[in-house]
Amino acid sequence: MATRIVCLQVPLFPLAARLRSDPDLRDGALAILTGPGPAARVVAASRIARRAGIQPGLTLTQARTRLPKLIGRPRDPECERAAQEALLDVAESFSPRVEDAGEGLAYLDADGLERHHGSEEELAHDLILAVEARTSMPVRAGVAASKLAARLAAERNPAPTVVKAGAELSFLAPLPIGRLTASGRTTEQLQRWGIRTVGELAALPSAEVVSRLGEPGQELQTLARGEDPRPLVPRQPPPNFCEGMELEWPLVQLEPFLFVAQAALERLTERLAVHALGCERLEISLDLEPDGHHARSITLPAPSRDVKTLVELLRLDLEANPPNGPILAFRIIVHPDRPREAQLSLFGPAALSPEKLATTLAKLFSVLGEGRVGSPRTVDGHRPERYSLERYAPPPPPTKSQPPRRGRGLLGVRVLRPPLDVEVLTTGYGENRPTEIRAVAREETARRPRVEGRVLVASGPWCLEEGWWMEEPVERDYWDVELNGGGLFRLYQDRRNHEWFVDGIYD
Amino acid sequence: MGSLHQLLPRETLRGMRLLTAQQLVDERRSRLREELLSTGVEACDDMLGGGLRRGEMVEIVGGRSSGRFALVQSALAAVTERGEPAALIDLGDGFDPQSGEAAGIDLERLLWARPRKIKEAFASAEAILTLGMPLVVIDLGMPPLPGGRGAEAAWLRLARAAREKRTALVVASPYRASGTAVRTVLELKRSWGTVLRNEYQRPVLLKDLKTEIRVGKARGQQDQEDKKMERAVWQNPEMPIPTNIPEVSLQATA
Repeated sequence: MATRIVCLQVPLFPLAARLRSDPDLRDGALAILTGPGPAARVVAASRIARRAGIQPGLTLTQARTRLPKLIGRPRDPECERAAQEALLDVAESFSPRVEDAGEGLAYLDADGLERHHGSEEELAHDLILAVEARTSMPVRAGVAASKLAARLAAERNPAPTVVKAGAELSFLAPLPIGRLTASGRTTEQLQRWGIRTVGELAALPSAEVVSRLGEPGQELQTLARGEDPRPLVPRQPPPNFCEGMELEWPLVQLEPFLFVAQAALERLTERLAVHALGCERLEISLDLEPDGHHARSITLPAPSRDVKTLVELLRLDLEANPPNGPILAFRIIVHPDRPREAQLSLFGPAALSPEKLATTLAKLFSVLGEGRVGSPRTVDGHRPERYSLERYAPPPPPTKSQPPRRGRGLLGVRVLRPPLDVEVLTTGYGENRPTEIRAVAREETARRPRVEGRVLVASGPWCLEEGWWMEEPVERDYWDVELNGGGLFRLYQDRRNHEWFVDGIYD
Repeated sequence: MGSLHQLLPRETLRGMRLLTAQQLVDERRSRLREELLSTGVEACDDMLGGGLRRGEMVEIVGGRSSGRFALVQSALAAVTERGEPAALIDLGDGFDPQSGEAAGIDLERLLWARPRKIKEAFASAEAILTLGMPLVVIDLGMPPLPGGRGAEAAWLRLARAAREKRTALVVASPYRASGTAVRTVLELKRSWGTVLRNEYQRPVLLKDLKTEIRVGKARGQQDQEDKKMERAVWQNPEMPIPTNIPEVSLQATA
């Protein structure tokens, strides 16, 4: 059980979460509202708005009478969830045991952490700096032996507050009883009995409190004595990272949406960096006007944290598969993976930087599209056109460089994908040796070159049979021919329909 | 960084005049960067002055069946066999993994990009060159090239990127494409010997293939004109069996 706990608390969390997702609102008079339509009430307001008298509980109409330029925004659960996750991500980069207490609150098991940071004050200070730098949210920190004492310490002062071990009781004693819990029933009862401070409740005999107030009373007294009724429950880190928001107005065009999405991706990559992870798969879910939905998934060739590349991939995917209506809200989910690691070698060849490789592969993927970049592989079987493309992950280089082999053969095949259909004149039924090739009329392109001419030399046939047990077996007679126009070609006749194809050029 | 003598035996360091491990690492890296890359073809290496020089752009020009693609595969095989990564930007989409593997390419170490247009090929090459691979090959395929031969400025940009990253950049094209950006041009031309016939008096192709190699351009070299006069012949050392043919079918030839 943790003996020292740090509480991180984001003041005015709905406001801080909104400003994290929409930083342009930072300099304005902003109020976050909850509730439907005209009945919406202010839950948090920015400093400028607070100075003008905007307080929680006011309706938007009341607030606007005090400050006509007030910007009202509804609470956005998506923003708040992402902000809470971001807070927990930073906390987890300090301690492996972090409890998610919701609404901008997080508890960390701080046992032994002070040794890494010098003291508990410095630990709390470092936490505040890290949260502010990585999440752009203001945060307060308190250190104590119980969650309640740590939270109250955090609420007390913008600067880190440390309650020394054993001093919890004296720290809590002068506080009003209402600070112990949000539910007022038991507290009201205690106040009616004349118990006004936490210290007075802690001093009462336990048996008497239980007999009069039951279990809630006992729990309240345990809290008052600076003890936690429930231990710190570490959260299980989520399998993916998510950011999203409801848009102020529906977006029709892609560019403005990508601008907003880029900001979300920047926040996501910041969170990935905290965990030293990269994005392996990107999922985007769009809510469309009036009630449509559009979801896409993009798999990256290698885990990457390069925002520019991720935005480019998103752009290409949405251009190819545009949503069917204006975008009302979006959610980006990143499935993380560990970036590749490489061991440097002193005497062998240098390995590629895994981070750079991942970014480059993602860039290539965005330029060329799916199935156009990777590591080639041969596939079992006899058909020469067979191949597969796998993710490029070169094995580590050998520890010592090897001298290259010399005296290589002059034989390379440049394949034509798909094979080029041609008309072939042959010697006759007996031998079927090609004597002339005539091109099927079509425009000549790089992938469809014009192949025609008299056959000078023909060598073959080499028979190929594959998959005779299947519905469409492969039965071909291959020939290597030299044409009078120049060039050595590999052509075959499909024995089933007697059609001829050129499938490669010896080059 | 500690003293080097604590890490390595004195014999290893003799004559190196190095004091710390950091200096050794730096020395090793600088030597790697200066290293010549073999193309795997002696005649070609000789014409290039020992092999492909890192940081330089070389263009290999050759028409149909000139051996251009075989030379590209040979260079890729020579690099990947040493355990180093290499990239092929295959504009013609003509690379055959089976043929490549038979040529000795370690496919796991080969990055294969298949652009559709020359613009995509340039973008891919620029991205790949940032990795600092020892060898990057751009094969432009067969004429007509999709998107033309590309802008001169783009080739110059690639040559500069290759120089900065100490990458040997090879451009294989059916005709001169990279303009002034390239330092050395090798021209390949098929020159046939006699077509051999087998014991049944049938002609057998691919048995006596020969390619003539000459230097078309050698910028910055004093003996530039002499170089242009040089000729070399690349001939098959031994008849390799075409990779696409199963053993059973070989009997059918006879």
